[in-house]
Amino acid sequence: MVPTRPILQVLCLVASSAVLAFGCQSADKPTPGKNTAGGDAEFRVALLTPGPVNDSGWSAIAYDGLLGIQEVLGARINNVVAVTPQEIKDNLRSYAQEGFDLIIGHGFEYNQHNMEIAPDFPKTVFVSSSGSETAPNVGTFRFYLEQAMYVAGVVAGRMTKSNVVGMVGGPEVPSIDSTFDAFEQGVHAVNPNCKVLRAYTGSGEDVGAAKQQSLAFIDQGADFLVHQANAAAQGVFEACKERGIYAIGTNSDQASAAPDTVLLSAVIVARPAFIKLAEDVRNGEYKGEIRLTGLSDGAVDVRWNETLKAKVPADVLKAAEETMEKIRSGELVVKKREF
Amino acid sequence: MNEVLGITAAALSLGTPLVIAAAGEVVLERSGVLNIGLEGTMLSSAFAAFYVSHVTGSPWLGVLAAIFVALCVSGLTGLFALGLGADQVVVGTGMNLLCLGATGSLFFTGFARGGELLSVPVVPSTAGRIPVNGLMLFAPLLVLAAWWLLWRTRWGLAVRAAGEDPVSCAAAGHFPLRLRWQALGFAAVCAGMAGAYLSVAQTGSFAENMTAGRGFVVIAAVTFGRWTPLGSAGACLLISAAYGVQYLAKARELPIPPQLFDALPYMLALAVLIGAGRGKAGPAALAQPFEAGR
Repeated sequence: MVPTRPILQVLCLVASSAVLAFGCQSADKPTPGKNTAGGDAEFRVALLTPGPVNDSGWSAIAYDGLLGIQEVLGARINNVVAVTPQEIKDNLRSYAQEGFDLIIGHGFEYNQHNMEIAPDFPKTVFVSSSGSETAPNVGTFRFYLEQAMYVAGVVAGRMTKSNVVGMVGGPEVPSIDSTFDAFEQGVHAVNPNCKVLRAYTGSGEDVGAAKQQSLAFIDQGADFLVHQANAAAQGVFEACKERGIYAIGTNSDQASAAPDTVLLSAVIVARPAFIKLAEDVRNGEYKGEIRLTGLSDGAVDVRWNETLKAKVPADVLKAAEETMEKIRSGELVVKKREF
Repeated sequence: MNEVLGITAAALSLGTPLVIAAAGEVVLERSGVLNIGLEGTMLSSAFAAFYVSHVTGSPWLGVLAAIFVALCVSGLTGLFALGLGADQVVVGTGMNLLCLGATGSLFFTGFARGGELLSVPVVPSTAGRIPVNGLMLFAPLLVLAAWWLLWRTRWGLAVRAAGEDPVSCAAAGHFPLRLRWQALGFAAVCAGMAGAYLSVAQTGSFAENMTAGRGFVVIAAVTFGRWTPLGSAGACLLISAAYGVQYLAKARELPIPPQLFDALPYMLALAVLIGAGRGKAGPAALAQPFEAGR
């Protein structure tokens, strides 16, 4: 992202003046989430993402959550793309010094940097999406998308006629691999002989590559494709449309992107979870913890394409419904990877 | 047989935008201009085609808009690189960054805020195992046009002279800068169509940085196509076929690390460069600014 650097420079300037002006005057006991270094009591939330927030996928979900915090809580928000450890640490410090009360790093990689920076800023809460370490003002939350992917796998496993289904990923990262594992698990739970193909194009932006990889899968007989390709997902849908097979959307409800092709979507409903988190922080009730949200609390869901749903056999719909019920009740635990 | 069809289809589908852009880049480099900014030009065109196709519902109007935007971006490049005689590599790099930032911001504010994917109308295409779409047909035409212009017209002779020795070219009564501007115009039309292909022919959508390095691949292909239209087109198709092999290998679950296949197109490019690197070099005045009256 090009504009990062100038913004960063301005931030650093503002931050350093803020430190000079307010850094030494507060002597009372710090409360996480009550950072007044910016000069007023306004609630401020910052978001760090590993990629552009217009990726229609992973980063877009978090950005939507951030907008939710702005709309519902009236918070002042800011966001930046931070990828390298240096960028992440610089931005964390800048935001904290500027008086942000809550800083969300959207990825497990932010967790370790949060642990390093957080002791210097006890009035700021640092949260990362995934990660395993916590402190009084450091926590993580994780969307259990694997649950919805498992259900999607059950549907694909029941409906495939060729006994071949495919998974097309963008960049190969543990969080994506973990959801593919869950999908495969779901397919094999109902159809042990089904072949599940998996490939990564290495890019969440190269729409053309995603399309060609999808066509290669379809050439091998795949009649159901699921993706984790973020902005490149349209390439997967386009390939499925061309060859007349069903696709499964991920992250958000993607039926509108290809109305005759996307049968269902495994979605993350980030807004409520983000708003709840911010609310807790604002009210001073947040304690460093690991929050796991999934099907049972509505943070993860399976959304059918209502127009195509009529073509799905009743027993498949029932199987999907039963699987979801079992997951919600805790009877069925979908494997997930820790990272 | 199935495999051959698959790889051929992939080579054509992935190769067409490269071939189209390379046809323009060959002419441009022959005139002595190295357009590092091709990547950004294609990206801007892809966005323009996407946007206009979305608004008007006509992918062909999108293609026209893409060409127009490519002409504007190239005009800006020309202003600095030709008009002011700035370093072409620096100008091109700057244009790439500008285009990446501009298209990303426009896409973000106009469309992607809600995180939804968008599907826009695409140019008509045949069905079947090797689909051919409307824009693909332009690829051979443009390659032939580049060849004919460079080697069968007086203008082409003058263009090549401007790329070899602009001072002598000017002494012979030609205007090297004007020739370079004209070559830049032809290259812009090609780059515009190549960018449009990505959004309104191949995928029917847009993503930030969706060109994903294709502009640089084209520049490399022109180099190992030895600055000839046909050679460059062949290099583009070869690289695309290598990508096709890579997708097939992943789909066949061959027990080969996928990273090896990710590197395959680049290894191929290196091999060609090693083989073709010796002997006849490119235009002698490539990337060198020319000042009239110097």
